[in-house]
Order: sequence, then C-alpha cells, then structure tokens
Amino acid sequence: MTSSSLNSDDPCFDGDGKWATKLLRECARAINDRDSSKIQHLLWMLNELASPYGDSQQKLASYFLQALFCKATQTGQRFYMNLKSASEKNQSFDSARKMILKFQEVSPWTTFGHVASNGAILEAFLEAGGEKNKKKKLHIIDISNNTSTFCTQWPTFLESLATKSSDHVETPQLKLTIVLVKESLKGSVMNEICQRMEKFARLMRVPFEINMINGVEHLWKVTKEELGIVVEEEDNDDDDEVFIAVNCVGGLRRVEEGERGNVIGILKSLSPRIVTIVEEESGGSDDSCITRNDDDDFVKCFEECLRFYKIYFEMLEESFPTISNEKLMLERECSRNILVDLGCNNNNNNDSDHNKRERGVEWSMRFREYFTPIGLSDDVVDDVRALLKRYNRSGWSLMLPSSKVEGIYLKWRDQPVLWASAWKP
Amino acid sequence: MTTEPPPMPLSGEEAATLSALDLETAPQPPAPPLKKKRNLPGMPDPDAEVIALSPKTLLATNRFVCEICNKGFQRDQNLQLHRRGHNLPWKLRQRATKEVRKRVYVCPEPSCVHHNPSRALGDLTGIKKHFCRKHGEKKLKCERCSKKYAVQSDWKAHMKTCGTREYRCGCGTLFSRRDSFVTHRAFCDALAEESAKAQTLSTDDKDGVGAGVTAASSSSPPQPPLTPSTSVVSPTLSIQSSEIPENATRLSPPTTCVAKAVTTSTVLATVLASSAGAAAPSTTSFPNVTAATSLSLSVPLYLSNNVNDLRHHYTACPQPSTTAALSATALLQKAAQMGAASSNTSLLRGLGLATSSTGYHPQDESGIDNPIMQWNMSSHVKQENPSLADHNLGLGLPCGDPGFADVMMGSPPMTRDLLGLGIGGNGGDNVSRGGLSALLTSFGGNFDSSGDAGGVRHQ
Repeated sequence: MTSSSLNSDDPCFDGDGKWATKLLRECARAINDRDSSKIQHLLWMLNELASPYGDSQQKLASYFLQALFCKATQTGQRFYMNLKSASEKNQSFDSARKMILKFQEVSPWTTFGHVASNGAILEAFLEAGGEKNKKKKLHIIDISNNTSTFCTQWPTFLESLATKSSDHVETPQLKLTIVLVKESLKGSVMNEICQRMEKFARLMRVPFEINMINGVEHLWKVTKEELGIVVEEEDNDDDDEVFIAVNCVGGLRRVEEGERGNVIGILKSLSPRIVTIVEEESGGSDDSCITRNDDDDFVKCFEECLRFYKIYFEMLEESFPTISNEKLMLERECSRNILVDLGCNNNNNNDSDHNKRERGVEWSMRFREYFTPIGLSDDVVDDVRALLKRYNRSGWSLMLPSSKVEGIYLKWRDQPVLWASAWKP
Repeated sequence: MTTEPPPMPLSGEEAATLSALDLETAPQPPAPPLKKKRNLPGMPDPDAEVIALSPKTLLATNRFVCEICNKGFQRDQNLQLHRRGHNLPWKLRQRATKEVRKRVYVCPEPSCVHHNPSRALGDLTGIKKHFCRKHGEKKLKCERCSKKYAVQSDWKAHMKTCGTREYRCGCGTLFSRRDSFVTHRAFCDALAEESAKAQTLSTDDKDGVGAGVTAASSSSPPQPPLTPSTSVVSPTLSIQSSEIPENATRLSPPTTCVAKAVTTSTVLATVLASSAGAAAPSTTSFPNVTAATSLSLSVPLYLSNNVNDLRHHYTACPQPSTTAALSATALLQKAAQMGAASSNTSLLRGLGLATSSTGYHPQDESGIDNPIMQWNMSSHVKQENPSLADHNLGLGLPCGDPGFADVMMGSPPMTRDLLGLGIGGNGGDNVSRGGLSALLTSFGGNFDSSGDAGGVRHQ
C-alpha cells in the first residue's frame, strides 16, 4: 500500500475542523482492531499534519501520536525509559522553577490543590487540642507529584503557618518529608529545593526541617523505617506531641491499580491526623483503562484520555501567551503522561508505569475503607474562591460537594478537572 | 454576671463622681518609676484613673445619654450638641469646671496583657477596638484574600489596599499577588544569595498602609510608631533593595534613597538598611549604615530591654557575614508574637528555636565552599539581565537542548528495532516493506533530527 496523499476529499476534514480528534480516534480503533495497514496510514497522516507548535488540533495530534505509535509498536516502555532518563539528565533547577512558577502565575491548576490542602492541614493542626505549654510540632509527609511541582506547595504554607500561629506563644515547628515515588529528582535539583526551603523557613522564622526521599520504587512497599523519623515520633514519650499530616497531590494515580488499597492502608498506618488528596478528575468509573487485550478497552481508555487532555491543552492555550517556552515544556511533560497512560502496554511488563485513572468518586470509595471524610471548612473554601478570583481567565469555577461526593472540584469551563478532599482516621 | 448599674449619663461634671459606679473593680494604678511626658503605648500615666468596664459596657454603642430625653449618642461631642437644643438654663449648660482626671482603661479579658492596670490603654476607642480585635469574633472578611477582621475600621482600611499592593522581590520582579510573590521568593536566587541582598517584602502603595502594618493589624493593634515608618520608607527601600544586587550602574538612585531612609530615622529603615549594608558587597553605597546598625530592630519598641541580646542573636543567626534577614514579613511575625505576649521571651525563644532546631544548618550559608552554591551564583550572574528584563517572557532556551538531541541521536536502535518489528508484530505480512519503512523512517527521523518533534520532552 502506498502512502496516500492527503486531499480535501478525505472525510476527516469534514465538519467542525477537529481533524486531529477524528484521526486519533480512528487510529485508536485501528490499533484496537489490529488493522496494521490502517494504523500505518493513520499514523502517517497524523505525522504529516501534527506539530507541537501549531494550533490546538495540531498539538493534540502531535502529543497523542507519540503514544499511539508506541502502543502500536509496543515500544512504549522502552521509549518512556529513554525519555525519563533524558529528562532527568537535562533537568535543571532554573528551567524547572521557571516553568512551574509561570504556570502557577497563569493558571490555578496546581495552586487549587495546594490552597485547599494547605488550608485543611493548617486548620486541623491549629485546632488540634493539646496543652498550651507544649511545643507544637507538625510533620507533613508529602507524597505528591513533586517532579512536576517541585514543592511549590510549601512556601505559602510556611507563610500561613508563621502568620496564623502568631496567637500562639511560639511558632510551631514544621518537618517536611518529601517522598518521591518512581520518578526522581536529580540530586542537584533536590539540594537546591531543600536549601531554598530551609532558607525561606528561616526568613519566615519557622523552625523547619526538610527531608527528601528519592526514587521510592513502590509506595506500597515503603515502610515507616524508610520514611525514617515517623517511627521515632510515635514512640516519643516526652512533652512534644507531633501532629502528622499526609499530603498527596497527584501521587495516588501513579500507583498501580492493584496496589492502591494497600497504599491507602499504609497511609493509615502512619497514624496521620489528616490526609489531603488532590487528583485529576479523569478516568472511567467502570471502564477499565488497563489495556489487556480486551476489545474496546483501549478505545474507551483512549477516549477518556483524549477528553481530559484536550481540556488540559485548551487550558494551557488559553492561559499562556501564544508563544511561551513554559507552555511548551508543560505540553511536553504532559505528552509523556499521555504516553504512560496509553502507550505502555502491560502485557509483558510486570512493572508497568501504566496507571488507570480514577475519579474523585472512586478514590472516595477507596478512602472510606480506612478514613472518614472531613469537609473543607468555609474558610478554606473562601480561600480557594479568592484564589480563583485572582486569575483573569473567567473559565475557572468551584464546585462544592454535594451529598454524593466528598471534596471540592475545580472546573474549567464547566468541566470538573481537579478534585481535592481531606480525610481523617 | 454581676449586677451592674445601667449606663449612667456621663456628662463631664458627673463623670468623676459616677465613674466609681461603673467600676467592677477599682484598682489603683501602681506608680511606675518613670514619669514621661508622652506615654508609650500600654504604659499609662501613673496619675490616671483606671477604669475597668465590663465587656457589655465597653461595647455599648451609645454610651452618652441625654438626661432630658434619654437619647443615646456615640460621642460626647454629639451629646453636647444635642443638649444645646434643649435650651437648658445656663447653670446646667456648663460642663465640669474642675479638671477631669485622665482616664485609662483596662481590658476586661483576664488573660490579656492589658488587663493589668499598668498596661492600661488611654483611649476608650482604643480599648474597644483592642477588645474586639483580640478577644472578639471576627465577623468581617475580605473577599479578595479571605482575611478576617473584628473591627470595621480595620476591615475597611484593609479593603482599600488589598489587591492594590505590590510586592517586589530582591531580584527585582514585581508582583501584584501575594501568593505568587511568596512562592517566587522561596525559590528565588535572591534568597539563595542572602549575603548580597537586603531581604524586603516592601510595598509600593503610598496609602500609608505598609505590608508590615497591614499584616500586623490582623494580629495585634497597629503600633503607631511602626505605621508611618513603614509606609514612608518602604517604597524607597524597595527600590534600593531590588536594585542593589544587580548592577553597579543601578546604584545611583538608591544612594539618595538610603539618605532619605536614614534621615527619616525610622527604626524600620535602619533595620533594613543595616541588613542590606552589612550584607552587600557593594557597601560603598551605604555610607550611613554603620550609624544605623546601632538600632538593630524595630522590635525594641515592644521589647523595652534586650535589644542587645537580640542583636547578638541575629548576628549569631544565619550567615556569619550578614545580619539576619529582616523582611517585613519577619517583622510582622515578631510583631505578632509581641502582640500576644507581654514579654520578649517568646521572641527569644523563637529565635532560640530557630537556631537550635534540629533542622537548622548554619553551615549552609557559608556557601562559598559549597559547589552547588557556586554553581548557583554563577548561573545567577549569567541570568542577571534576562531575569530583570524578560522575566515574564520566559526567555532563555530550555537548558540542555543541545544535549538532548544527542541523547535522541544516541538511540537509533529505536528506529532499527521498529523497522525490525513492524507494526503490531503479527500483521507484518500484509504490509509492504516500502510503505512501512517510509513511514517509520519519516517518523523515526523526526525524532532523531530535531529536538522538538512529536513529544520530545524534558523538564
């Protein structure tokens, strides 16, 4: 079969101009059906038309093409490892910092979860009983996707802690244990972050300690000993009481589906007084996104991915200026996530990075086995509202919990995109 | 609640005699050793009469009642104005001829520092506001930033400036949002090079409400000496602090600012100038700093003694080569602590905590030996101008791109493998070699040749 030339008679150009969406869908279907000639044809077309610098359809094509290609050729795992090591090699504190700070400036995508979690943790901590003359100590175990967000949650937390605890006789002590699961940060980047956090804490006059645990392979296997200090604190009989909080922003969906229950159990065993969870609102409820060789599963998975990432790319497009290096970096990072979600076939791999996405409702069900939900207080909700107001784009809104759901949702153009909730044992 | 007499008309001449009835307790003020012309806040005139009102009386809005028609007024002047309208005979019209003793008020809340007569406040409105602020429920909330207030005037004052305030980082970037500023600050190179910069969280607005003050007001009554100084000084200091570290050429404006800062002789100014001056390598621009270092902190206003102790604490703190970073936030932190506690011990304890906590590493700062610091410094030097001029443009190519292409080039096995595998592995028979290789080469070629095609990524 020869490579066909594109002509405007091609049905994919009909209608609403969403040619990439159509082509990608057809390609996913073809992969599912194992129609290799069709796959080849579609991949070729997509390759011709796609561009990471083009309009939203071109970008969509470009970033999904990668994943589909890998899925079709079953090279996802290897490709992902290459990309991962390449990105780690090229990781630079400065470029990463620039990217994430700019992102937070133009979009509340990450800060939504931070504000909600920080508010919940701080409130719970300050309200926690305890005698007045005992020193207050807070230990936060952060199991978030920090290779994307670089601990940017914590400076504002430090500032709030310093300000809001001014009624207390002493500023409480804060210890932060950052657990990096699967992904890891380059040593120098880790050092930079730790150093700067320490200095900033000094500036805020908060007694502070930070610990980074790099490259934990499997969260369900992590022990209290690995997390170190936790054990000592529990046995601590002296005057100081330690308030343990677990913060998990985007960290759970990286856990293999089968192990998620165990992981939540592990979290429970750390005896936290509060657990804050933030996850992207994506995934099917009963659809399985794990690609076994089942028919249609892949297509369903693909559809959901397409839906969600389309929103994400649109959001990036709207939030950033047209030409933006940071936007490009984020898009690339995102396409790596797409690769993980779609392109990695777990047929032969025991250690697949492929993760099924779950929505807030499903996470809630899992959490209910070990924890009780805490509603986010009015103050915290007001803080989140105030945050959204600060962003000029009016596409952002807040969805409050109804009787059926826990937590709060961030919506972009009326689509729920992020979910934040708090739990206690 | 003990029975208390109904609020009595407090026209001037009757005030002295009736005040006894208002008292729940009538402690006599102990005579402090010093007699000052102008009373420091919370240290009242020893001759003053101490009045302790119950919370209910304190918060009563219409304390001044006309004896004729029983109409209530918030202010004595308004009551007098009203009384004129009753055409009183001249005898009753006069106010008290005898001198009314100065009155000071104590806070009804027993655990409060101002409950003690020696720390009574001289102004009735002041004690009312204090009581609401510290012991009252905060019913008013700012929409923009969710800050809560009990006193309406505080809230209104905040609403005026919230959102209009600007924050300038030591690196020169300007922010309109506090949260962006804080996050930026924590990771900024300016922070890393503490030894070279003054740390300020300054404001640019001239409304007279500086960052330190506004924040302080939420946790303790704004201390008057701090208010004007912050507002006057901060704009100038913001310029000086932001521009000093960057280029020598930029230092000319700051010199005038420094002079201005010192001549206003506010403690805040000298504090920040001194930390800047002691720290900056380019100390030549701060001729007045040495004089200023004698006043190390604005906090001495609250701490009557122990200034020297604090200074020693600070010099012992972070870097050997600098005085402590004294941002407005840090100051408000201290101010807040001071507002809560009557003594300075909490601050010292706080400092003690800071210096002796397990996580504290004074060694970090002597960063010259630290290769990472060196790397950081050099990269900062490189980025000086771009970071100033183009901060928001995100200029500066992503690092490592040249290297990246190499990595990609380094994995041509991918292409070869793909050619070997064929699509799907099992459909190979139907695929013409020519078409497949053409596709794969073009596809794989994209990955190899340019660093940017289809999903090449780095962080």
